[in-house]
Amino acid sequence: MFPANHKTVFVLDHTPQFGSSYDSVVELDMGNKPRGLSMIPLSPIYKSLWTASVEAALEYCRIVWDLFPEKKYVRFVVSDTRGQVLNSWSPGHQNLACIQNQLGLIGVPAPASRSVQSESSIFPGLQAAVDAICQCTDVQHEKRTSLSDNSNKILNRSRVICITTQKDNQSIKNLQDMFIKFVNQSNKKAASSDTLIPINHCHLVILNVTPRNGEPCLVNPVPATDISSTVTSEVHAVLPNGNIAVKLSHLILQHYDLASTTVTGIPMKEEQNASSSANYDVEIFHRSEAHASILKGNAQDTALVRTLREGCEYDTVTLKWCTPRGASASEMHHCTVMHRITPVDVNSRPSSCLINFLLNGRSVMLEMPRKSGGKVLSHMLAAHGGEIFVHTLGTSRSVLEDPPSISEGPGGRVTDYRIPDFGQLMKKNKLLPLKRKRPEGSDSKEDVIMPLDRMRQRLERYTKQWPITISSTSVFNLRPELDPLLNAIVKETISEDEVLQCKQVILSLIAQETRNEPLQPSSSGQRTKGPKRDEQYRQMFAELESLIRSHCRSDQHTAVLNCLLDCRNRADDDPKAKLERKDDKVELDQALRELDQMSASPNPSVNGQRVSVIRATTDSPMSPPAMSGPTLPLSNSRGHSRTSSHSIYSSGPRTVLDFLITTSDSKATRPEFHGLLNSESGPNGSKVAKLYAHLNQDGGKADSSVNEAE
Amino acid sequence: MPTIVLLDVSLSMTRPVPGPPGPPGPGQESQESAETFSRLQLAIHGINTLLDYFNLYTKLEFVSLMTYSSICEELCPFTRDFDSIKQKLQSVEDQDKTSIEPALHAVNRLVLKEWGSTTPCHVIIVSDGSCGVTDSSLKHLIDRNTSLHRPPLPFAFPGKLSALIIANPSEPQLTHNLQLFKRLTDLAGGDGAIHTPEGALSISSVQTMVRKMAETEFVSYQGTLRCGCLSSKITLSPHPLPYTHVKDFSTETFTISDNIEVLGFLDLSDIGSPAAVSRHLMLPMGSGVSNHASHTDAKNEDSDDENHDEGKVSSFCVLLHGALKVENMAALCEVADRWFGILYSWADNKKKSNLMLTVLEPGTDPIPWLGDLELLGTVDEGHDDASPLPSFPVRPAEKRSYSQSTVAWIRQAGLHSDIQKILRSARKLPDKTQHFYKELNRVRKAAVQVGFLELLDGLSKIFEKECTALPDKAHPDCALQLTHCASVLREREARELKFTITPLRTSFTSND
Repeated sequence: MFPANHKTVFVLDHTPQFGSSYDSVVELDMGNKPRGLSMIPLSPIYKSLWTASVEAALEYCRIVWDLFPEKKYVRFVVSDTRGQVLNSWSPGHQNLACIQNQLGLIGVPAPASRSVQSESSIFPGLQAAVDAICQCTDVQHEKRTSLSDNSNKILNRSRVICITTQKDNQSIKNLQDMFIKFVNQSNKKAASSDTLIPINHCHLVILNVTPRNGEPCLVNPVPATDISSTVTSEVHAVLPNGNIAVKLSHLILQHYDLASTTVTGIPMKEEQNASSSANYDVEIFHRSEAHASILKGNAQDTALVRTLREGCEYDTVTLKWCTPRGASASEMHHCTVMHRITPVDVNSRPSSCLINFLLNGRSVMLEMPRKSGGKVLSHMLAAHGGEIFVHTLGTSRSVLEDPPSISEGPGGRVTDYRIPDFGQLMKKNKLLPLKRKRPEGSDSKEDVIMPLDRMRQRLERYTKQWPITISSTSVFNLRPELDPLLNAIVKETISEDEVLQCKQVILSLIAQETRNEPLQPSSSGQRTKGPKRDEQYRQMFAELESLIRSHCRSDQHTAVLNCLLDCRNRADDDPKAKLERKDDKVELDQALRELDQMSASPNPSVNGQRVSVIRATTDSPMSPPAMSGPTLPLSNSRGHSRTSSHSIYSSGPRTVLDFLITTSDSKATRPEFHGLLNSESGPNGSKVAKLYAHLNQDGGKADSSVNEAE
Repeated sequence: MPTIVLLDVSLSMTRPVPGPPGPPGPGQESQESAETFSRLQLAIHGINTLLDYFNLYTKLEFVSLMTYSSICEELCPFTRDFDSIKQKLQSVEDQDKTSIEPALHAVNRLVLKEWGSTTPCHVIIVSDGSCGVTDSSLKHLIDRNTSLHRPPLPFAFPGKLSALIIANPSEPQLTHNLQLFKRLTDLAGGDGAIHTPEGALSISSVQTMVRKMAETEFVSYQGTLRCGCLSSKITLSPHPLPYTHVKDFSTETFTISDNIEVLGFLDLSDIGSPAAVSRHLMLPMGSGVSNHASHTDAKNEDSDDENHDEGKVSSFCVLLHGALKVENMAALCEVADRWFGILYSWADNKKKSNLMLTVLEPGTDPIPWLGDLELLGTVDEGHDDASPLPSFPVRPAEKRSYSQSTVAWIRQAGLHSDIQKILRSARKLPDKTQHFYKELNRVRKAAVQVGFLELLDGLSKIFEKECTALPDKAHPDCALQLTHCASVLREREARELKFTITPLRTSFTSND
C-alpha cells in the first residue's frame, strides 16, 4: 500500500562541473569498413557527465512507463543556480517526449566561470523536488477528496534520486541535512494548506559520480539508513564511463520490484548471411511477480535458471525460446498473472527482432529446464494492442484435471438444443469497445448508463421468449420465413418499415394456413406423427402471439400484435361460421374446445405443448379434423389488449393490409360448385342439387337424387 | 480445494476411550459400550465419515492422507478415489511421540511439488489434542515459528488449517491444548477452525463432529447463471474463495455472488490468455444436489436415478456451452459487483469438454487490451456515428518505447547503429533523400536533448570523411548533400531544439 514509487523526482546536477567533466569516450570510427586504407582515423568525441546522467534517467523513465503506463509518476528537476522543474504530476506530462523536449530547451550546463561556479549547487534542486512531492498527484487528489471512509488516510510516500558530485562524506552529510530541513519546512507549509499534502516518507537516493578531471573523490557508499523520521537515505559511489546507467538499471529493479528474464536461444538470421541463423539472447524486465511461481518451487530448479547477470549487479532468470507451433491465439491458456515487459536494450538487433516478431501477432512460449530432466512451459510472451506481456502459466498439476463432461450432468442428454440459434444470438450480442474515453468530469459518470449496463436490458429483450430446445418451439423452427419478424421484435424500437415487414410475415403465415400448406417442412427426414396440421398452426400462432405480446414496449410493437390479432380474429371467425352450418359435428368439437380451455386457462400464456398432448389423447383416427376454435386465453388476452390499445388503434386509419384482410373473404377463395349454385332449396332449408339430372331423360329409371347436405 | 488429512499416529492415540462414567444402566447398554475403541480407531471412523461426505457432495476434490508422529509419512497421494484412502486407513499403525513441525514441513513440500504455490489447499489435523513435550512440542513450535529461517507456517501456499480433536470434553488438559491448536490455526492464516466432539467420545459423537465440520468448511457453491431471461442453477468446482485485491491505494476483499450474469459475448481470439484469479468448472445443478439437504444417507441408486432424469431436463448451461464451443466464443459475465469472469468451453482432453469460468482480477479493466469493460457494448447502441466499427484490441494512448523509434545511446552500439543508418541512406542519395534527412534530424534532435553537442561536430566530420571516400560511381548529389549537412551541423542554429536540417536544393532533387 502507498508505495514510494508512486512519486519519483530526479534531481539532476546542472552545474558547470557536470558539463565540463566527461563520462566516456565515444569512438566515431566504427572501423568495420576499411575502405580507405590511407584514411586518417577520426578522433573520438567525449560524452559529458551531464549527457550520461540525462541518458540514464531517461532510460529509467522509459522502463517505468513501458511497464506501468499508469500511476507511476516521475518528475525532473535540474539544479544549477536555481531549481527548475521540467514537468508536472499531470499524466499528460508523464512521457519521454515531454521531458526530452524540456531537457532540449534547458540545454547543456553553462561553461564554468567563477560567478556561475560559486552560485551553482544541487540544493535549489532538492528544495524544488521537496516542493514537488508536496503537490498531490491526480490519484492522491481523488483519494483525498473522495467521500469514502478512508479518504484521509492516504500516505504520501516518495523517492528522490539525486545524481550529483560531492567532494567528501561531509558534503554528503550537508546535503542530507539540508534535505531533511527542506522536508520539515515543506511539511509545515503543507499542513496549513488545502492543496498540498505533507510528506510521510521520502527515500533519498544519492548517486555520487566521481569526475575524472577533479580532485580524488572521498565519498563512501552508505546503505539505506533512516536519517530522520521521514527520510531514508542511501549513497552510491559511481565511477564514470557508463556506470550511472548501470547503477540505475540495478536500482530500478528494487524501486519497482522488477526482475530480469533472459530469453535464450532465439533463432535469428545473420545480418550478413541470410541463409544461416544463429541463436541470440534478449534480456527483458518485468514485475518480479512473474517469477514467483517458478522460484517458489524446487530450490534446485531455481538454481538452475537463476544466474548473476554478466556485467550487472542483479540476477536474471534464463528461459528458453520455444518455437511456436501454428496460431495458438484462440486457445486460452491457464495464465495466473501477466505483466508488461520491456527489453533492456531497446535498440539492439536481437531485441527488435523479438519485439517485432511479437508485435506482428505471434506468441512465444518460454521453457524452463528442470533439474530432474525435462522441461516445462512456464511463460508465454505475447503482444496485445501494441503492448507486450509476459504471461505466467500454471506449471503444476491442476485441480481441474479429468473433469466430467458436461454431457454427463443435468441436461446433458438433451439432444435438440437450439445451438446454432443461440450462436446467432451471441453474434448479435458481441461486445465491442464503444468509447475510448470516459466522459469528462468524473461526477457525470454516475448519471451516464455505461454500455455494459445497457447490455443487461438488451439480453433480457433478446431472451424474453427463447425456448432452448427445438421441440419446445414451433415459431423458431420456421426460419428463415419468420426471421424478419423475430429479428425486429426484440429491438428496443422498430421502424415503420420493419412493422410492415412483420405484418407481411404474419400475412404470409395466414395465407399459408388458408392454403392448407404444411407448416413445417419436415427437413429432419424422420416421419414422426406430430400434431395435425391446423393444430400446428394453432400452436404456432399462440406461441407467436405470446412472443409478440411479451415485447409490446412501443406503439410499433403493438401494431405488430394488433395485426396478428386482427388476422387471427378473422381466421377464427371463419371456421366458427362453418361450424354453425354443420350442426351434427359440433358436439365433439365443442368438447375438445372446452378441454383446451380447461387445460390452458390456469396459465394465460397458451402452452402449445400442453394443448397438443390433450389433443393427441382425445383424437382417434376416426375423428374429424380438429377445428381451431377460439381458445379462452386467446380471446381473453385479445380483449385485454383491445381495451388497452383501444385509443390508439380501434378508430385509427386502417392500413392497406387491414383492408386487404377484411376484403379477402375465404368464402370467395373457391367458386361454389356449379350444382349447388343452380340448386333449389330443400324442405329443411338446405340447398339440394340433383345429381345425374339427365339420367331420367336417358333411361327413365327411378330418381337417384342424393341429398348432399346430409 | 485439495485436502490433506494429517492423522496423528503417536502412542497417545492408542489410548482406549474410557467407558461412560459410572456403571452403565440397563437401558443405556448399547453396542458401543460393548466394544472399546482407541482414539485412533475413532479418528479413522471420523475420516471415513468425511470421505463419505466428499463422495456424496464434492466428488471432484482431491484428498491425500498423511500420518505423523516423530516422522511423517505420506500414506496416500492426492486422489479422487476415496475408497483407496479408506483401504489405506485400515493399515495405519501406531508410532512413537507426536511432533507437528516435521509434518507441516512435509505438507509444504508435498503441496508445492504437487500443486505449486498458487493452489489453495485445506489441511485437516486429526489428533487427540496432545501437544507433545520439549523440542517437538506444539508450544515450542508456536513460540519460535516466526524466528525460524523457513517457518512451516503460514504455509507456502494459500492454505487453511483445521483440526479435529478426538478428545473427551472432560479431559483436564484439553482447554490448554485447544488454545495451542487455535494459535496454530491462526498462524496458518485462513479461517480454519478447531472441532471437538460434543459429549463423551463415541463413534456417533465423532461422526457428528466430522459431519458438522464438513457442512461448515466444505460448503459447495450454489448459484444461478443468468443470461437475460434464461437461467440455470449451477455450482462451481472448486469452491470459489474470497479474493483480496491489494492495490497501491486500496485493499478490498471480493466475494463471488450467487448470481452470475452473462453480459455479452466475445471472440476467444480477442480475449487472448488473460491473468486469472482462479478457474472453476461451471456445472449445471439438478434439483436434489445440495449438501444442506437432510437426506445425507441417500443411497447411490437413488442419486443415479435422479441423474438419469436430470440428464433429460434441458439446461441453459448445456445450451450455452454448446454454442460457445461451436462459435469459438466466450461469454463475459459479472461474478460480483465490478468483478468479471469469462465463460468458455474447455476440454482437458479432446473428448470431454466442459464449461469453464475464468475469474479475472476485480475491477473494470482486468484485461488492458479489452479496455474498460464497462464501456463494452453492441454496435447498434452507439448508432449515431457512421465511423468504422470499433474493434479489439484497444490500444493504449501512448506507444511503448519498443514500438517506436527510441533513441538509446547508453551502449555505444546504439549510437553506432544510428550513425550507420544515416550513412547507408547517404550512399543511396538522391533516392533516399527523404529518409536520410529524417534520420539525420532525429539523431540531431536527440543529441540536443541529451546535451550531446559534441556528436554534431562528430557527425560533421564523419560526413566530410564520407565525402572523400565516396566511390567513383557515386551520384554527384551524394557529395553535395553531405557537404551541405557537414557545414550546417557546425552552425549555431543546429544546436537549437526546434531547428531542422533541410535538403540542399540541387538540380537532382528538383523533381521532389
